[in-house]
Amino acid sequence: MLHTDAPGNTRQNGRWSSIVLIVKMLLTVAWRNLLRNRRRSVIVFISIVVGITAVMFNDGLSIGMISQMLENSIGSHVSHIQIHAKGFNDNRVIQNNMATPSEVENVLRDTPGIAHWSPRVVSFGLLSSALNSSGGVIVGVDPEREQDVTTIRRSIVEGSYLTGAPREVVIARRLADKLQVGLGDKVVGMASALSGDVGSDLFRVTGIFETVSSEFDKAYMFTSIDNARSMLELEDRVLEYAVIVRDINEVEDIAASLRSKLGDEYEVLTYIDLLPILVSQVDMYQSMMYVVYLIIALAMIFGIINTMLMSVFERIQEFGVLMAIGMRVRRIFLMVLLEAGMLGVLGTAVGLLLGSGLLLLFSHIGIDFSIFSEGLTSFGVGAVIYPRLTPDTILNVLIIIPLTTVLGAVYPAVRAMRLQPVAAIRYV
Amino acid sequence: MEVIRLENVEKTYSDNGVPVHALRGIDLRITQGEFTVIAGPSGSGKTTLLNIMGALDRASKGKVFLEKESIGEKSRDEISAFRLEKLGFVFQAYNLIPVLTAMENVEFTMMLLGIDEKQRRDRAREVLRELDIEELANKRPNEMSGGQQQRVAVARAIVNNPSIILADEPTANLDSATGANLLDLMEKMNRDHNLTFIFSSHDRQVIDRARRLIILKDGLIAEDRNGSAEA
Ligand SMILES: Nc1ncnc2c1ncn2[C@@H]1O[C@H](COP(=O)(O)OP(=O)(O)O)[C@@H](O)[C@H]1O
Ligand SMILES: [Mg+2]
Repeated sequence: MLHTDAPGNTRQNGRWSSIVLIVKMLLTVAWRNLLRNRRRSVIVFISIVVGITAVMFNDGLSIGMISQMLENSIGSHVSHIQIHAKGFNDNRVIQNNMATPSEVENVLRDTPGIAHWSPRVVSFGLLSSALNSSGGVIVGVDPEREQDVTTIRRSIVEGSYLTGAPREVVIARRLADKLQVGLGDKVVGMASALSGDVGSDLFRVTGIFETVSSEFDKAYMFTSIDNARSMLELEDRVLEYAVIVRDINEVEDIAASLRSKLGDEYEVLTYIDLLPILVSQVDMYQSMMYVVYLIIALAMIFGIINTMLMSVFERIQEFGVLMAIGMRVRRIFLMVLLEAGMLGVLGTAVGLLLGSGLLLLFSHIGIDFSIFSEGLTSFGVGAVIYPRLTPDTILNVLIIIPLTTVLGAVYPAVRAMRLQPVAAIRYV
Repeated sequence: MEVIRLENVEKTYSDNGVPVHALRGIDLRITQGEFTVIAGPSGSGKTTLLNIMGALDRASKGKVFLEKESIGEKSRDEISAFRLEKLGFVFQAYNLIPVLTAMENVEFTMMLLGIDEKQRRDRAREVLRELDIEELANKRPNEMSGGQQQRVAVARAIVNNPSIILADEPTANLDSATGANLLDLMEKMNRDHNLTFIFSSHDRQVIDRARRLIILKDGLIAEDRNGSAEA
């Protein structure tokens, strides 16, 4: 009766189906072993969850901070793409101007993917009030167009934005403080005009704006483009077009398209060309993030090695019996890996949920770093940082952490594999 | 039919550099259906001999044939496969995987052969029924008595239809009534299925049931005779 149903005859032939069977059974064993050592499992589990939350926060804050820096620069004046006469960016003199702006404007109108653009006259000069003077940047803008390209209008904290009337200026807060001017006060601007003479004009402060970048706030003053043109004898020439694209991911393609349409007499620069230091900082932050991953992963690996070694040594006899009944050592190896892998996967799942939840929450309310605010504004960040949850972070955690736990189990699993069944069984 | 043959097997352990000659030259042939007890004082080499017969350990010298094939030439995996298919083990204690129930422990061995879940379950139930321990199916080892655990170990040992069961002092941790019970069971398996049983023991009641009795002394066979059970 016992031999009629010999398993040898009914054995499954499929290699995969038998692997599935084994993994299923081993998962059961692994899970129950984790439960058997609940305290130890919980400690490892918590350390994984905390580790993940920490790296996610580190990622989120770094990305949030650097993105804010970049976006603040883009938003306050840089924009996505700038078009100049060839050579202007390296030699910012008004002789490097665009004499036929309509040519550029036709191209801008004809190029898909562009959301907004604005012509500018940019000049470095001396600004003086009745009480003080300072070097600064005088930017002449088309008030209507500029408000779609930069955040100046939204950054006004006192008075009002440019209406297009003559002699109006809006001036950055720190610059206003330095010149000791307020709303309605006069400011004289002086700069080198096209002819080489010094052009000057009198302006009246109609608005004061404030941004998170102290560098920007120390230097910039906006007026209408016609004012600036007349002061600098530029007639209808333009020094700079600032362009905002619809999709930032297409910025390089759009720039390339503009370049080919405009030809050699112009330079088309993206924010990546214009903010090389900031962009390289993004790369730096990214590599720094991997250092943090490495540190966390190392700490985790040692935790796992320690835990799994304990677990293996506690079960030497069990492994001996498994070998005696004919379990291949490779499967024993797999069994130990699965146990650690299970902890890793569970920890990762919970850690990801917790980390993502917290990041999403703080990405709305922000984290106030007011105490360090002076330092942050000099970086152009602002006192409140909004951490960001990016797919990159999730992907990194998803791959690195479970891999780390499994990696940590390799050595203990090799130790289990190397046990000699007899020695294991005799071990009492 | 011959199932195990040992030719001039020696085993020397090293005890911190000092050689310990556990077996000094064993010639032995076991045939299908035997019910053999290896007896002898403690330290005489019983466990060592049994481990070598079960390919859990390698001889230092001499040859071991399992079903006429020399195990000296087999890989670790081939030996594992052989143990899985042809051998069943019952140890003195700690036989079972602690986190699995009796049923799962029995199934585990079949799982290693790749038998699917339904067949596994049916077969495990069949064996538990045959050994009259169905009520233990869902109990874990720590919820069972020593005797119950040993019975489950027997169930696991026979479930893959091996040709040989090796049992190292299976009754050593059991009271005599429980031990007798376990032996009844193994005798029944031997009778009904012509399963080969090889025990090591110095327990009187095991020796009394031997149909072949091999007595070891200082790593040598001192006596090899038909046991009292056959007389
Ligand atoms: N791993 C080992 N290392 C060193 N000596 C051992 C080892 N295993 C067994 N021995 C020695 O080998 C001899 C036989 O042991 P064993 O086979 O366990 O005998 P028995 O089972 O008859 O008590 C004993 O002297 C024992 O001390
Ligand atoms: Mg012994």
